[in-house]
Amino acid sequence: MIGDYHWAGGREALLRFGPDHGPVVVLLLPFFEEYNRTRAFGVAILRALEKRGIAGVLPDLPGFADSLVDTEKLVLANLQQAVLDLVASLASPVFSAAIRSAALIDAPAPARWRLSPQTGAELAREIKRLRALGDGVTVAGNAVSDAFVQSLETATLAPGQRTVRLDSDPAPADLKLPGAPLWRLAEPGDDPDLAELLAADIAEWIAACAG
Amino acid sequence: MATAAKVDEVVRGVLRDVLGISAERAAALDADSGLFGTLLEFDSIAVAGVLTELEDRLGILIEDDEVDADMMGSFGALVRYAAAKVAT
Repeated sequence: MIGDYHWAGGREALLRFGPDHGPVVVLLLPFFEEYNRTRAFGVAILRALEKRGIAGVLPDLPGFADSLVDTEKLVLANLQQAVLDLVASLASPVFSAAIRSAALIDAPAPARWRLSPQTGAELAREIKRLRALGDGVTVAGNAVSDAFVQSLETATLAPGQRTVRLDSDPAPADLKLPGAPLWRLAEPGDDPDLAELLAADIAEWIAACAG
Repeated sequence: MATAAKVDEVVRGVLRDVLGISAERAAALDADSGLFGTLLEFDSIAVAGVLTELEDRLGILIEDDEVDADMMGSFGALVRYAAAKVAT
């Protein structure tokens, strides 16, 4: 179901899945080109949670998807504010599931699950690399301001309660799962098996938090 | 420390995951197989993805001024570059 939410900077669309009661998973997608690459995959995760009777919300973030906000005017604080306002608007207990750089904005959720979290410094480095290899200004077609890059460099991650990574990633994690990093593929892909495994892990984690 | 065989395997895996080529195509790459300038999938965004994934998976740091068409020109050249980085 399509809905919307209001934040200090305007209104953005969101997709709702599952029941209108009980815990709700707010799925936060990574920034820039990775946003589009993981959107179908994110929907698959939320549908798999819906089958388990767990509600989900997939918000458009300011600057991405169908948002009218210009990425050139965006700083990290805008995205953090949008998540804060979204979480405050939800009556149910909120659990965030953040993919990659979305870990930088999941702090307003009281419980935080993450897939392959990326730090601000890592993202800033990647943006600079993409700019250098591309036209020197944009990041895969997104106009990104220096102010945004600077806000990333000093950003810190709130402590996460559970971190999942792929087998190919040597960084520490609570769980490692087989699969390819869909956020790297130029053509948006899907991985139904991985989406199922992740939904199962999120469902178990929510149950453990409640217990 | 990663062995030469391990580096070869990691580079193959990164190319498969970032370029979206099949496991069969990735397995068939040999030292002379052309990459940048040969594979259509290997555009500038893919270059950034390959470099960053190699850094993460091998625990190395790649300076952007070391990146040129030669070190990514063939599978053998990229493996040699990565292996040298792992050894330092």
